Amino acid sequence: MRRRASGPFQLQADGSYRINLPPDVRELMVHLFGELRDVLTQADTSDPALRRLFPAAYHDDPERDAEYHELMRSELVASRLTAISRVTEVVGDGDRLEAGDMDLLLQSLNAVRLLLGTMLDVSEDDVDDTGRLTDDPDDPVAAQAHLYSYLGWLLEAAVAAAMAAVPNGGNPPKPR
Amino acid sequence: MPSTVPSTREEVDLDQNVDTTADSPWVVIVWNDPINLMSYVTLVLRKLFGYSLEKATQLMLDVHHKGRAVVSSGPRERAELDVYRLHEHGLWATMQKDGTDK
Repeated sequence: MRRRASGPFQLQADGSYRINLPPDVRELMVHLFGELRDVLTQADTSDPALRRLFPAAYHDDPERDAEYHELMRSELVASRLTAISRVTEVVGDGDRLEAGDMDLLLQSLNAVRLLLGTMLDVSEDDVDDTGRLTDDPDDPVAAQAHLYSYLGWLLEAAVAAAMAAVPNGGNPPKPR
Repeated sequence: MPSTVPSTREEVDLDQNVDTTADSPWVVIVWNDPINLMSYVTLVLRKLFGYSLEKATQLMLDVHHKGRAVVSSGPRERAELDVYRLHEHGLWATMQKDGTDK
């Protein structure tokens, strides 16, 4: 796929982003955000497809990790649902992404990609250095693999636009 | 990110009986994974921790090549918040007491 010179997300002088995406891509994104919402709100929290969205915090201490997830999991779900709701609204019907919404778009796009990558069981051997899946036309899940690669391109474009908005040298480190 | 996926339980050899770490801070570790884009990881580290492009890129490359990198350290509550924000952004982050995997 050839990247348009203008790019799908263009940083504006006021810090917002102009969304430059065709209607079919917007529909696709809204659909995928809907699927992500459905997976996050399903009753089965042990679904293996979710493992990358809710990784262990204390990987060496199951007891503390259980406590952590008891406290934080619902907050993480709520945060993701809020982000999905906002970006669905903007991507579905808008040309302007506010500066603060870019982070929500990045999180949501990345979460969809994590979910799809987990379902496709993406491993290190399957991807090139840009995170794209190497093509295998005989692969029965080729359509999903193409979608995964396309999402990687879209996320890369959003990252590039967002990176341009981070001040050179980064923000001052927070006191610790 | 392409490279080896760590098996955390095998690679981190903990010795919790040694209590010399009681006052040491907690460290937050980001692990390599085959899905997250390198550019995305760099951006998240810049945004969450205020790191310069150079520092964030170096940490990302450590994750990529060495399998993991310590991205922040501090009291337990602070580390839990950092882990939460990294999870919110889809990074594979864990926390442990500093020095417990030597």
